[in-house]
Order: sequence, then C-alpha cells, then structure tokens
Amino acid sequence: MGKRFSYGGDAAGAPRKRAKVVHEAPTSEEIHASRQLRQLLIFDQDPARSRHGLQSLKLFLDELLGADGGIRSERAKILRDYLDSEKPAEDEENPVYLPDIMQTWSHAGQTKNDNIMSAVPVVLALLLRLLSQSLETVPIGLGICRTLLAKRQQELISSSLMAEKNKSFIISPTLRLLREAVSFDGGAIARPLFRARANMLKSLARNMGIVYTGEDKEDIKRPSARTNAIQFFLAAIKYLHPEAKKELLSQRDIVSALTRDVKQDPPYLLKELLTGLRNHIIMDDKVPREAKSNLLNTSTLVRLSALYQYRLDSPAEDESSIADMAHDLLLTVCTNPACGVLRQDAGFYPREIDPNTTIPTAELDDLGLEAVVWMNKFKTEVPIRNFTLSNFLPNLRPWSSVKQSELITSIFKVAPELVANYFLNNKTFTFEPKLSATWIGYAAFLFNTVILPIPENLCRGPGVPELPPPTSIVLDNILPLPLNQKALARCLEHKSNMVKFFATRILVVAIEKLDAAIKIYQDPSHNNKSVWNEAARRLVDEFCQRAPGIRNMITACQKIPTEDLLHREAASRLLRLCYEVLPQATLSAKLDVSTHLDAVLGRISNQQLEDPRDFALGLKELESLLAIAGYSPGMRWFGASKGTTLSPFTQLLKICVEAPKGVSLKTMQQVLNFVAVEQQLVPGHAGHPGLLPLIEALQSSAKYASQVWPFLDNCFTQCASKSVKYVEMLQEIAQETAESAGQNIDEPLVSPIILAIRDQLPHASKNGGEEVLKALGRILPSLLGLSVTVGESRLILSTIFSKMVSDLPDPKGKLAKAGVPEGLEFQHNTWSASKSRSSKSEKSTASTRDVVTLETTIDQETLEGMLHIPDSLEAENSALMKWANKTADELVDEGYATSLIALLASEHASIRKEALVSILKVADKIKQSEYEEKEQVWLLLSELAETAKDNINNGPLPSTIVAFASHALHIVRDPLHGLYPKVNVFLTRGPYWSLDKLPLVDEILAEEPNVGDAFYTQISWLLTYLIDGLRLSSDLELYHKKRTRGPIFERVLALASNPYLRLPLRTQVLRLLYRASGIEGGSTTLTTRFSVMNWLEERRSACTDSSEAAVYDGLRKRIWETCDQQKVTEWSKNGLP
Amino acid sequence: MSSPEPQQQKSQKQIDTEFTSYYLQRATQEFGEALDAVRSADDFKPDSSIAVLISALQQGTEMFSAEDKRAVICSEGSAKSSSSSSSK
Repeated sequence: MGKRFSYGGDAAGAPRKRAKVVHEAPTSEEIHASRQLRQLLIFDQDPARSRHGLQSLKLFLDELLGADGGIRSERAKILRDYLDSEKPAEDEENPVYLPDIMQTWSHAGQTKNDNIMSAVPVVLALLLRLLSQSLETVPIGLGICRTLLAKRQQELISSSLMAEKNKSFIISPTLRLLREAVSFDGGAIARPLFRARANMLKSLARNMGIVYTGEDKEDIKRPSARTNAIQFFLAAIKYLHPEAKKELLSQRDIVSALTRDVKQDPPYLLKELLTGLRNHIIMDDKVPREAKSNLLNTSTLVRLSALYQYRLDSPAEDESSIADMAHDLLLTVCTNPACGVLRQDAGFYPREIDPNTTIPTAELDDLGLEAVVWMNKFKTEVPIRNFTLSNFLPNLRPWSSVKQSELITSIFKVAPELVANYFLNNKTFTFEPKLSATWIGYAAFLFNTVILPIPENLCRGPGVPELPPPTSIVLDNILPLPLNQKALARCLEHKSNMVKFFATRILVVAIEKLDAAIKIYQDPSHNNKSVWNEAARRLVDEFCQRAPGIRNMITACQKIPTEDLLHREAASRLLRLCYEVLPQATLSAKLDVSTHLDAVLGRISNQQLEDPRDFALGLKELESLLAIAGYSPGMRWFGASKGTTLSPFTQLLKICVEAPKGVSLKTMQQVLNFVAVEQQLVPGHAGHPGLLPLIEALQSSAKYASQVWPFLDNCFTQCASKSVKYVEMLQEIAQETAESAGQNIDEPLVSPIILAIRDQLPHASKNGGEEVLKALGRILPSLLGLSVTVGESRLILSTIFSKMVSDLPDPKGKLAKAGVPEGLEFQHNTWSASKSRSSKSEKSTASTRDVVTLETTIDQETLEGMLHIPDSLEAENSALMKWANKTADELVDEGYATSLIALLASEHASIRKEALVSILKVADKIKQSEYEEKEQVWLLLSELAETAKDNINNGPLPSTIVAFASHALHIVRDPLHGLYPKVNVFLTRGPYWSLDKLPLVDEILAEEPNVGDAFYTQISWLLTYLIDGLRLSSDLELYHKKRTRGPIFERVLALASNPYLRLPLRTQVLRLLYRASGIEGGSTTLTTRFSVMNWLEERRSACTDSSEAAVYDGLRKRIWETCDQQKVTEWSKNGLP
Repeated sequence: MSSPEPQQQKSQKQIDTEFTSYYLQRATQEFGEALDAVRSADDFKPDSSIAVLISALQQGTEMFSAEDKRAVICSEGSAKSSSSSSSK
C-alpha cells in the first residue's frame, strides 16, 4: 500500500484536530452529618478538594432522590440542617444562598476549571429537584433560584451555555439547572428568568443543534445537549406568560433549531416536544396568532411531516406511534384556523378577485361571461391566501401513505382554494396507468380529492356571489389536472380490470360532483341568471373535454367479466350518470342497452347469484341500466333477443315476483309500471296501481307462476303491439255487458293486458301445454279478483272471466260457478283504496302547488338569456383582408373561410362580390394545398360560389344557404362525423343549390341515420343550422312555405313532441321560435299558421319540471307581445291571449 | 349459538362495518390477480403499501348511500346463506 498523500507541507495547513477532553474522576466520601457537609463544601482554592466536596454532595443528593421520602426522609435531615445553617440573614439586601458553592463556582469561572463549571450546575439542578418535593423546603429552593438570577451567577450561566460545542458536560447540566429553575414552584421565577434572557437563553439555538452523534440510540440517562435544550425550552413555554412566548417564538434561530434535527431525536423527547408544542403554544388561546404563525412556518411543517417516516420507536399496542402523533398534530395545525396556519379563503374564487363586482347589465348582456375579465385568467396560476400550506403540501407523499393523503385532503376540505393551486404546482406526477402501489395510492388520493364537498355557496361565504367562479378552478376541483382525457382514457383501456375500476369510480364521483355544481349554478336566486347559465354550460363543455368520451366508457363497460359485480355496478352507474348529467355527450353514444339489460336480467332472474348480498348488488346494476333504458329511444322492451326466451319486460317482472324478501324493488316496479302505462298494458288512470294486481296474483300462486312466463310474455308483446285492437275489444265487451245487464257502462275500466290474456288464452297450450292452462286456472281468478279490488269494472271482468273459463281446464265447472272472486286483498304488496285516494289528493295538491310555482313566470331578460343566440352570420368586413396570408389548415380550421361565407349574406353588393371572389380564391388555394380533406372543402366552396354567382346582385344570399355552408364546412373536414356521408351525397348531386330549399332537412328528418344511433346528433346539428339560417323576413318565408312534407316550422314543432327528445334539443327548438319572434311578422305567422300558442300550452301542461314550464310561459308571453295582437285576436275569435 | 340479530335492527355503524367488509371481500375476489401483481411490483413496501391498498379499495364504499348499504346487508337470507355456506 502506498502512503497517504499529504496536501499540506506544514503543520499550519493540516486540519486541526479537536482536543480530546479527559475527565479525571473526582474523589468523594459518604456524608454522615451536616457539619461534615459544610466542611466539605466550604470554599477552597484547591480544585481537587472542591470537586471532592461537590462530588460527595452529588452522590448524597442522588441517594436522597432515589430513597423513599426524598427530602422528607430521616437522612435528608443532614441536608436540611446544612441548608438552614447556610441560609442568609433575612434582612440582607442581596441574599446569597449557598455562598460557598457560589464562590467555588465563581472561582472556577475565573480559573476556567471546566470540571467544577460542570459539577456546580449538576448539584444545583439535583438540589432544586429535591427541594421541590416539599412545601417546607420550597422557600430555600426559591432563594437558590433567585441567587441564580444575580449578576455573577447569570454571567457564569451565560458563559457555560456559550462553552465550546464539544463541552456538552458543561452545557447540559447548565440547561438542566435552568429547566429546574424555570419550573420550580410552578414557574415562580419564570418571569424574571425570561427578563434575564440575554444570559439565560444564551446560545439556546446553537445548543439545540448539539445532537447525539453516537452509533447506538441516545441513552435516556445521558441526554445530549440538544435534548436538554429542548427540555428547557419546553419547560419555559409551559410556565412563561403569552407575551414572553411570543417574544421567544419571534427568535427565528430558536424556532428553526427546535425542529431541525427532529428526525433523529429519541422517541421520548419527541413525545414531549409534540405534546408540549400542542398544549402550550398551538392550543393555547392566549398565545397570539402571529406567534403561532412564527413557529408553524413551512419549514417547521415540512420537518414535522418527516416524522411520518420515523421508525426509531416501538410503541405498545395501546400507545400512539410518533408518526401518529405527528399526524394528529399536523392535522390540527393545518385545519384549525386558531393555530395560525390556516387562513380563511373564498372557496373557488382566487385571492385577487371580487365575486361581487358590479358589471353593467348592458355589458353582461352583450358579452356574457366574456364581460367578466378574470373568467379565463387562472388557467396556469391561482393566487391563494394560504401560502404556508401551499408551500408545505408538495413535500407530502400522498401516494405512499394513507395518513399523508388524509392530511392533504383534510387541508383541501378547509382550504378549497388550494386544490387547483396544488395540481398546477405539481404537474410532474402524472396519472399514467401502471399496476403499481404508487399508482393505486395516487388514484386513491385523487378519489378522495374529487369526493370533497363543494364549498358552501362556492365562496364559503354566507351569500351567493354575483358572478360565477372561474370555470378552470371549478373544473380543477371536479376533475383535478392529472385526470385528463388521455390518462383517463388509457385507464379505461388498460388490460387490468382493477385500473379500469379505479378510473370508473373516480369518474362516477366526479360526475356526481359536477351535477351538484350545476345545481348551484342554476339556483333561481342568482341575480345574473344568464351569466350563471352560460357558466354552467361552459363548465359542462370543459368537463366533457377533460373527461374521456362516452365511447371509451361504453367499451370499458362491455369488457367487464359477468361475475365482477362491484365493477359492473360502478360502470353502469357511470353510464347512467352520463345520461342524466351530460345528455349532450351521450348523443354520440352507441350503447345497445337492451343487450346489457338482457344479460343482467338473465343473470338475476336465473338466480345465478347465491349470496343475497350479491343479488342486492346486482339489482343496483340493474337499476342503473333500467334508468339508461328509460333515456334510450332504442330500448326494445318487448320481444326476446337472441339466446333468451323472455323479453326484458317479462324478465324484469319475473325478478320482481321472485325476489327474496327484504330486497328493495321500488325502482323496478316504477319502471315496469312506467313502461306498462306507456305501452297501454294497464290504464294510466290516476290511482290505478298498474301491474300490482298481476304481481300479487303471481306471488300468491308462486308455485304456478313459473309455468306461465312464456305465455305472459307473448300476451305483453301482443298487447303492446296491438293496443288499438284491445281498446276496441274492451268497447265491444262493455257494450255486450251493458246489453245483457240492462245498464249503461259509462267509463269501462279494465286493464288491456287482461283482454290480451283473454285473446291469447285459446293459444296458451302452445306455450307449455296443459300445465300452463292449469296454472292459469289458479292465477287468473286472483288477477281478476284483485283487479276488481283496485277499482276495475266488475261487470266487464265477469263477462271476460266467463269467456276465459271456456278455455281453462274446469271439468267440474267449479271455476265457472265461483266466478270472479270478491273482496280479495293484497297479501304480498301494500295497496289500499284509501292510499290510492290519498295519493290522488296528494297529486291534486301537488298539481295545485305546481300551478302556483309555475305561475311565477320568468322575466323576459331571463328568457332572452336562455333562448337568445347571437347572430353568427353578422357581417365582419375585415374578414376580406384577414384570410390572405393564412394556410389551408388555418382557413378551414380557424374559421377564416366561415367568416368569408358569412359575408355572402351582407346587405352591400360590393362586399358580397368581394367575398365571392375571395371564396373562389380560397377554394383554389385549398385545392392546391396538402390539406387532407381538400377535395371536399373545394367542392363545397365551389358549389356555394356557383350558387351565389348568379344572384350576387339580387340581394343577400338566403341566410339558410349561408348557414348551411358554414356548418357543412365543419362536417366535410371531419370524415368521422355522422353526417359526412349525407353532406357528400348532397354535394355530388349537382353543381349549385336551390335557393328556395333548405339543404339536408329531409335527409335528416325523414331518412335513417347513416351511422347507428346518431339521429339525435344529426338533429342537434340541423337545429343549430336552422337557428343560424333564420335572420330576415325573407328567411322566415322559407320556413313557413308549403312543401311536400310540410313547412319547416311544422316539422320542427312535431319533432319536439318526440318524448325521447332531451332537454338541450327541446331548448334548441324553443330558440328557433324565439329567433322567429324577433323577426317582423314572425310571431304572427307562428300563431296564425302553426298555432304555436296552443302548442306551447300543450308542451307546458305536459312537462313536469316547473322551470321548463316557466320557459314555455315566458315564450308564450314573448310571442304575444311581438305579434300583431289585433290580427291574432280576430283570428282566434278573442280566444287569445 | 346465539340467534342471529334481526337485520332491520342493526345500527348504521354495524351496517357500515359489515358493508365495508363485504365490499373488501368482493373487491379482493374480483381483482385478486391484479392485487398479486401489485404485491410483486418494485414499489411495494410491506409496511405501508398494504394500508394504501386496503384504503384505496374500501374508499369505494363512500359511493353507496346509507340506504344502499342497508339494502345490501339486510337483504333477507344473507345470514342464512352465510350459515348455510359455513355448514357446507
């Protein structure tokens, strides 16, 4: 081995080694008498003898502290006598207790004798501890404490505290002495001691940094200088008055040193520290808030949070670990405003803005949300009030610790402003799916964030603010930034079902939260309703842009294994929420709900789920699917699908009949009754319990019910498909009954399904042979009897029964003789005549109530906010200049071409001509470019130019043509659009378009959609173009002109009667009418030609939602106010208004 | 053996506990394979990751209302079925 290379040639350059302190053990002797003690402690310049005396006293004090009775013991009398003899005279001006020891100490200070400088504080600390044991000796102890406050002693203490870092043997006992002194007699001298802080707290921060450096654990009997310093600090804060604590905490070096080395402190010290800080500072109401803030700064919080990883303790079962204690402390500190960290925020409103700013109404009307200058300002940065917490949070690791996750979400709950801020500041951690503990931890953390409640009134204040909060902030709270479309879609496509499951659950709670937010936005108490409504629309739009598409969700749902009930429940709930909260997003959905429903119904009705809890969970999935079926016009309730024998309707009924007791079937019965009434299986008569008699009859004859399902299934299908036949059959039987009974039957009431059963009975044996007839022989009398009980016509039912009997096996004529049983009661279901009556009266009160609420009409301003759509074809002449330097992509995708198209509707011929030339140039430019859909775009623009060319001098091009061209441009650039084939077929039909016709209206309204279930997407597109195309009186003519399939208005009004048309599309229809009412003669034409007033009246009475009804009322009023009232009154023969 | 407690009389706390245990049981059954894969992932730490996994799985119970939980736990026969399965 070579020699170690030396860097320095001389001794001065060599690193200085710390001189090793060698302690020589002092001698001692046992104490027997107070005189002996006095002799031993008498001042002597010989340090060896002084040490001998002090060491003897130390051992004596140790012995007394360890003995029973302590200071009160017999042997302690020696000490007491000694102390009495050493007491200074009462009349002394500056009494000095233990003058010999003090003189020895002082001499040691002068001669720099470290051993004595250490030994004196050691014995004094022990002595004070012993004296505090008895009230009798407290005055002596207090005397010693006051002596310590004398100038000379203060200097000695100060110099001891300032001793070199390696002299812990001096520093530690001095700190121990101070701790005993400050806490002596309940902190009697704490105040004067603090006044002398210049000496007494000397180097406290430095001393807190003298940590134990050994390899083993720190010995509890030989605590480090840091431990002693912290214990002195804790004793001081226990006894100091609040102002002194404030002063102490204002010393940054002390506050910083307090927690700097907390990770390596022994467990007992940490317990004392955490408890001491909690009890004497954090929870002390008298300590001013700013003092607490000084202590609990970001770095303190970060250091305390390091204790989450503390592993030096081994707590007993009933004991809290240090990590738990730190967590509890942090939870308190960060969530309780009294602790000085948490500041009151304004929820979703960032620091700089005033949600109650007054913006002139005219400005709000013109610009909508754009009038609110800060609405789009906080997408990259959110100003907040809670700086400390904002800086602290990124130091936590919520993905790897449940407690840290809990801490962050608890902070988010009390300071919602931090949610958006946190995720904006921590963009590095993505949600890219990976089957790892970290990803699952992160997913759990995000779930807990999403599920947090929305702050009260969005601003955590008492009143609803004037203006909505910035959309981006609300969205970041509903779907935090890491949950973006790409990441979520990848989760839903992930091969692991668990990853899909976690993503699904997050989406479920996110949509539920979005729904809750929308409800707050739509609160009727808002002053600026139109702005709030616009903000709600924007929120939904932006949510849809961040969430994965409905297709991803449907695909993910379809791939879930049948037996994964939890996963299926969550996925079906997600789809249901999409249909309920985001109806627009589901327009493009291609969900074959019948197939899903079939599968679930099959699984449940075949009793494949043995555990009733699984059965109940399966029903939750079924409930969601039923709700989706309710929203889905393509749902096939009747007719069995491939691989099943029964239709969904019958399967559902079967589940209701066969379900175990205790299972809630309310939702399913509601759905069954809804479908049964819709399809005219049962009367929609108020008070009629729908299918209940049939369910009861089947449950009463449970043994036989299993035989009749195929037969009943057939009857349901027949009844639903031939409802008119059974209505007529009822009329005939009623007449026949009336004739034979010789009395008039005014309103024959019988469920059509009974007639269908009667009709199909002769064919019953085809569906299972004689067994079926035998079973029906048991079931039908109960069914008819129960039908009588619920109020159906007894006479007619008797006639029907007599006809039924001929087809039933009744060899002894018992059935025929018994007839329809009387007075049958419901045993398995609850129904009573009084209940039905009361429900009727409830209904009538409810409807009266509704009328009252509906009569509170909305004002015209609100109506305008809801139904007015700005004119998208308004001429902006600068478009003629702007397009020139743009690329083909920009021309099409950024709207330059659309702006040019709009100019064809300009009232100035010169503008139109220039626009025409520009359009031709644009078409040419695009054709020669690399733009992907250049051919289609060129064709569209060329045909438009061709159409406009011959009419350019005759006035503006009809708005319908211009609007069509603008909207068609969006389609031809997107081959995946549902209307792409139709638009292309239209374009290839001819080189120019008829100005008189509205392109594509027939193709969309009357023909099958090219792509699956895209009908409603196409309707949505059509209505938007029709609204934009209606601007002038000349346009109006095109809408009411007679055509082969009827005028456009007539067809649109008929369209709105489609019960499956969702609210957004219904509103679009109303917007079209609103647009017409703004054109001269529009309202009059609508009223006299299309009876729009009656139509609105009818729609209003049919709708159940009071706010929607109010819109119908408002529009009715608007049409009346804008029409030629005299003409209309004459036309209606005074029937209107 | 004491007679089973009437299902309807269970307190909400009992219902919550039973539902959480049922939910966890179902989740481990449905995602057993994935959970095994997570256990063998590089970042899995036995002392803290198990708590994270359990907490992550059971947080889904928060999606169910009190009535939903009661409907699942109190559907008649759950006691019967568990006793019958144990007798098997």
